[in-house]
Amino acid sequence: MVRLAYIPGLTFFVCLIACLPESANQSIDIQWKNGQAFAIRIPGALAADIPEDSIFSLVTVNIAGQQNPVGILGSFEQKESGLLFTPMIPFTRGMHYDVRVRDTRVGGFEVPENNAGNAPRVIAIYPSADTLPENLLKIYLHFNQPMREGLSAKYIKLIKNKRDTIDGAFLDLQPELWNPERTVLTLWLDPGRIKRDLQPNKRLGAPMQRGTHYEIAISQAWTDARGKRLAKAYQKAFVTIAKDSLSPQPSQWTLVPPTAATKQALKIDFKEPLDHGLLQEVFTVQDGAGEKISGQWQIGKAEIQCHFIPDANWKAGSYKVLIEPRLEDLAGNNLVRPFDRDITKTSEAVTGEIALLHFNVK
Amino acid sequence: MKKVYFLLAALAGLVFLANTSRVRPAKYGMAVGTPEIRSISGLAFGPDGVLLVGDSKSATVFAIDTKDATANVSTQPVEIKNIDQKIAALLGTDAANISIQDIAVNPVSKNIYCAVQSADGTPVLLKITGDKIEAVSTKNIPFSSLALNNAPAEDAKDKRGNSVRVAAISDIGFADGKVLVSGLSGQEFNSTFRSIPFPFTNKQDQSTLEIYHAAHGKYETLAPIRTFTTAEIKGKKYLVASYTCTPLVLFPMDELKPGTHVKGRTVAEMGSGNSPIDMVTVSKGGESFLMMSNSARPVFKVKYKSIEAYQGALTTPVEESFATAGVDFVSLPVTNVIQMDKLDDSRMIILQRRSNGSLDLWTSSERYL
Repeated sequence: MVRLAYIPGLTFFVCLIACLPESANQSIDIQWKNGQAFAIRIPGALAADIPEDSIFSLVTVNIAGQQNPVGILGSFEQKESGLLFTPMIPFTRGMHYDVRVRDTRVGGFEVPENNAGNAPRVIAIYPSADTLPENLLKIYLHFNQPMREGLSAKYIKLIKNKRDTIDGAFLDLQPELWNPERTVLTLWLDPGRIKRDLQPNKRLGAPMQRGTHYEIAISQAWTDARGKRLAKAYQKAFVTIAKDSLSPQPSQWTLVPPTAATKQALKIDFKEPLDHGLLQEVFTVQDGAGEKISGQWQIGKAEIQCHFIPDANWKAGSYKVLIEPRLEDLAGNNLVRPFDRDITKTSEAVTGEIALLHFNVK
Repeated sequence: MKKVYFLLAALAGLVFLANTSRVRPAKYGMAVGTPEIRSISGLAFGPDGVLLVGDSKSATVFAIDTKDATANVSTQPVEIKNIDQKIAALLGTDAANISIQDIAVNPVSKNIYCAVQSADGTPVLLKITGDKIEAVSTKNIPFSSLALNNAPAEDAKDKRGNSVRVAAISDIGFADGKVLVSGLSGQEFNSTFRSIPFPFTNKQDQSTLEIYHAAHGKYETLAPIRTFTTAEIKGKKYLVASYTCTPLVLFPMDELKPGTHVKGRTVAEMGSGNSPIDMVTVSKGGESFLMMSNSARPVFKVKYKSIEAYQGALTTPVEESFATAGVDFVSLPVTNVIQMDKLDDSRMIILQRRSNGSLDLWTSSERYL
């Protein structure tokens, strides 16, 4: 049975070779890398008799159908198998191109649409809670694929009471704020409208009001770096509560210490949601001698708690958690300075030191 | 194996030959190589045709010797209609698949350098001379680079091993032998401003400043700088910075020292739902102007004289008087300016989305001043 199954396959293979037209040796091959058409190989037969130093003046690649063909910028490389042309950016999916030699079209090729692979997805939106302060400052969008930049203003809306799109809710920033991999984007609700007494705040008011239903809507039309649209439209709904104008107070947090000789998590409860982006960066655990304990931080539901799991078992003794003062809550209040600081009222410290929390492992 | 760049036209080739025939040590501590530029967020020119490239993705500033340092004394106005379509054709794609990230005029040759990004994130550097658009090769060129110090992010990764550090270089400039870089962080709401000596040194002798913004009325806030320029006001050098939340603030350059917190003086608030894009200083008839392009507003013109006049009043930033006051500015009848740079003392190169949808590069005349 196995042998039988092979026969049709072999026949097909033979036919494939035998049936190839003679000109196949002269066809233009697309060179692929990571799903991108990064170059083409122009067979020697098509570009014969061209002196190497004249290639750039005699051979051009252009978008098909142009009245006045414009040569695409790129580099040529003579190889045994033919002439390799690498454009400055990969050829675009779904587009047709011509190859011209001495101003005459000698061949063409189409870069097929990208039908393979999975559509990009939104894998998380932070803050994750469904009740948020009306002076919320930042939203983080996490994607599973590198996304195309510069389009957030077009594809992300803030919708009030399922009806009204709020214009200018997000700050239009170019360049946008991405991580190096282009999988995490930060959006700011227009700080000029959140800050009390600034002109945008006075004229337009804050972008959001308390006790109201809002939705962040992400359009499916947003494409990733490969040109693929999101798998679906995404929404995050939430209800606003009162403004948060107070700095987080580590002294009010609760710590649940782990047990010695285990890898139990150290649990920290903040009593309020804190900024997801910063939570991953601002904590350090040290032992009594000031040595850093290596381990992983896990952020709990609604960013109200976090857990620290050490790489090695805990030893009995005293420890401390160091907290960088730049840690913010959802409204941009950090440990030493509220987002809006009333300078006529108090003499709060404006430069902060590392906050410390102590715990003992028994 | 020899690579031939057909974009380097014959003329440019001759110039290169002329340059390479003479062996000379690389300028400014540069070495010949291929810089790994992963993104271009900002462009600015340093001395002698050295192009400074702000790369947000790799948090690095590159300095490239363009060898484009022949003085041009009779600069002709540039006008290229539908420049996005022209660039797209040269890159073999649709205009929808590219975005123009920044433009910078080489102050020596007056050629325009343009950073373009394709939909997949590939950065491209182009040079515009008259109506000719060509690629700037970044292979085997003299360059140096400096990684910006973003230390805290080292081990902050998500489950997929991606960095969670979100940041961007918001603007880059050059003044008095220093590369100036403003940065935005996606996490903290504040501003970093670096003043980096050029040529770059190994010891990374850079200033990192957190800047306070003394806002109107009684609330003091931190805010990130979006764009900046430098100017001399009454014989003193200032950093003129424009903010994401509320625009124009002045900082004395001599106070911007490593590790210091400098309080800026707000001189104007220029509207809501808007983000400033570019600022340049131009002059006409002995009077100088600050020109500012905006994401959702026309181009603003501010007289430096008016800013000077505010000097005294703003030394106490909490005074109620300027909660509503501010330096007067004029809105020019030029909207949707996406990029702007100074061509010479009185003219600017402007990249504008016209009302008919065409994206045009053109040269402003003195009549706007």
